[in-house]
Parts: sequence; structure tokens; C-alpha cells
Amino acid sequence: MTEETEHGDTREGKAGGRLTRRNILKLSPLVLLAGCDMTPEGPAESFLRSFQKFNDWFQSKVFDKSRLSTEYSQAELTPEEGFRVNSKDEDDPDIDSATWTLAVEGLVAHPGTYTLASIASLPKRVMNTRHCCVEGWSMIPRWGGTPLGEFLRMAGADPRAKYLSVECEDDYTTSYDMPSALHPQTLLCYEAYDKPLTLPHGAPVRIVIPTKLGYKNAKWVTKLIVTNENTGGYWEDQGYDWFAGI
Amino acid sequence: MKAGKREFQHPLLIRLTHWVNFIALAIMITSGLRIYNASPIWNFSMPGFLTLGGWLAGARMWHFFGMWLFAVNGAAWFLYNVLSRHGRQTTLFRWKDVSGVKPMILYYLRVRREHPPAGKYNPLQKLAYTSIPFAGLGSVLTGMSLYWPVQFGPLASLFGGYDTARIWHFIFTAGFTFFFMGHILMVIIAGWSNFVSIITGWKSAAD
Repeated sequence: MTEETEHGDTREGKAGGRLTRRNILKLSPLVLLAGCDMTPEGPAESFLRSFQKFNDWFQSKVFDKSRLSTEYSQAELTPEEGFRVNSKDEDDPDIDSATWTLAVEGLVAHPGTYTLASIASLPKRVMNTRHCCVEGWSMIPRWGGTPLGEFLRMAGADPRAKYLSVECEDDYTTSYDMPSALHPQTLLCYEAYDKPLTLPHGAPVRIVIPTKLGYKNAKWVTKLIVTNENTGGYWEDQGYDWFAGI
Repeated sequence: MKAGKREFQHPLLIRLTHWVNFIALAIMITSGLRIYNASPIWNFSMPGFLTLGGWLAGARMWHFFGMWLFAVNGAAWFLYNVLSRHGRQTTLFRWKDVSGVKPMILYYLRVRREHPPAGKYNPLQKLAYTSIPFAGLGSVLTGMSLYWPVQFGPLASLFGGYDTARIWHFIFTAGFTFFFMGHILMVIIAGWSNFVSIITGWKSAAD
């Protein structure tokens, strides 16, 4: 997004800007011809939003949730210099890997905070998977981390819970259906290209979920909440599809 | 056709699917161009007035609504054609039409003066009308590879992988656009009565 404001802007401020953008959602001459209401919050947009919910529902029903994203060979990797950064803000948050902890809340047997060492002590998965950005570009980085499902089991997450919400240091948020969170390729990622994650890529820990669009791969994760409530997310609340399965 | 008589041209389902397809394609192409602008493949962006949705999320909403309209309508059209055998003699390009292609090209190039003998549609028209459903099928299949590349992984590899499927998606779009331009030109040449027939079904014999 190009509409970046000064560093230190609150999330509310930014979201406000985006909402304005959404408010000016252009409707086509086609709709004009069809005689539809042209106001930005009119029937066209509410219809499209309902239809988007139908698509989300349809995906959640027909998707094979255990299907694996293709894992590529080392030769097919995107070279490290092509490892793209895309964040909602231009500046990275101030986050100290040494003191960082991951808070876990909600429907879990063992709520509390977890250190990077405790996460890294769990089985590790390294995979070369395609990261598909909603904008249309894609890349194949080499990711390494703990399968989120392993971590959630350790934390005693209720497997009957419907959703997992994620909160981040830069006030980014997103959420997943529980089957997607438990997918074997969904990682609490702390390595890229066999090295510790760098700050622009979400250090110390980010989500990597190759079965969903890029904006579901939250960076600088600070809190996980196991819940039965769909909490949406930063981009999802502004008009991007919530399920975002690929 | 005798003077004063009207000729029935297009059954209801053909007329209906024609116009639904027109709306669906308008939505798909204009919202698709906005999606393209979010990460242009080539060194240019599409001008805003050709795009629909205002921003990427809005364009995606339109695109993933339009895709149902386009696919379901296309499937209905295909089923109708197969089951009713509609257009089999008049519109479908078949082996026997191959020999008629060259004379038609020569006629259009004004090398040949007389219109070669043809039925309702000439061999070049048949070729165009027969190839466009394949562009439709290609658009749907490449679209599925881009929309759900994990679920339809093998499909994406059929088109040379995720990034190449995206280029194919545009090639099919370009195919529709060229067809549309040729189609509009022919409609203008054929005149008003012909145009009315895709709405009412009937063509008056006045011309």
C-alpha cells in the first residue's frame, strides 16, 4: 500500500485511512446502467461483501484441509536477495528478540508466556514453499520453524475450538480456522534460509502458512488466542477475504 | 428469405447466456485489470477508467463474484449446445469448413470480389465462434490455478506453474478482447436488424 503515514501512527489512524479508501470504492458504469445505488456503502458493496462471505464458506467446505503445499527443491528456491519484504508499515517495530515471549490465551490448558527456546525445543520443520501474495507476485523461500499444531498441543489448546487469533508487535492481527492452524505446514517460523529470521521478515517469530495468501503470514507475533469467536484481522476487516485459502 | 418475413435466429437460452456473458466478462476483465495493477507483470499499468473495484480488495470481490456468473453461465451455454445440438450445422467449425477459410480471408482482404458460398455463418465466423469457448475454458482453468494454487497444484503445472499460469490468464483475456473488437465490427456491418435478433430472437427481413 502506498498510503503510508508517519512512523508511530496508531493502528486506528491507519485503519481510518484505509476505510476512506474503501469508502471511495469505485463502482463501474455497468452498475450505473443496471440502475444500482451508487453510494459507496450502497447495495453493490453490501452484496459483494455477502458474496465474499459465501466464497469463504464455500472454500471452507470444499477445501481439502490436509492437502500439502508443494515443497520445492533447493534449486527452485527464490535466491535470498529476492526474498521480498511486504508489511503494512514502512518501519519495522521495535522488538527485542532476547526478551520476546509469546503469550497464549483463551481456550488452552496452559495459558501463559512462552520463550523462543521453548518453541524451538519442539520438533522443527524446514520447507521450501511458495508464498503467494494477494497482489499477484510469489516467491519460494526456505522456511524453518515449529509446526503451530505441535506448539498448540503443548500449550493444551482445545482442539474443538473454532479459531485461532494472532496479534503482532506492529498491531497487525489476523485469524485462522482451527484446521488451517493445525495444518502440518503452518509454522511458528523463526528461520529463513537456514538463518535466524531477520527483523524485516518478522523476527523473532512469524507465522508461515503456505496454504493461505501472504497476508495470513503474520510477522512479529506476540500473542495467540484460542477462541470460538472469529476476530477477523487487519486486512480482512478492510475487505480482503478472511479464509484466503489457496 | 422473402421480403416482409421475419426469421428466427437465436433461441431464448442463447440470447440469455449471451448477455449474461457480456456482463460477466465486463466484470471479469475490468476487475482483473485492477488486480493486475497491484503487481504488474509487464512494465505498464492499466489506466484507472478501465478498472473496477477501486482497490485490490474491491476488485477481488468483483472478480470472485463474476467468476461464478461466468462459469455457471458458460456451463449452461455448453450443456444447451450439446443437448440440443444447437449450432451444430450453423456455428460449429468442422473439418469440412477448413477449405472455406482461405477464400473467406481473400474476400475480407478484398482480393476476392464475390462472397464465397456460406450458410448462416461463414467458415471464419465459425472458427471464431468455436474457438471462443476454449478461451473461456482456458480462463477458468488458469483462474483456478491462480485462485487455489495449492488445491489445484497439478492444474497450475499444466500451465507451466503459478507465474506462467498468470501470463496464460492474460493471453486468454486478450483473446476475448480481440474477439470482442472483431465481433463489434461485424455487428455494426451486419446492421440493426441483426443486432435486434440477439435481444428478441427475430431478425426482420427488411435488410
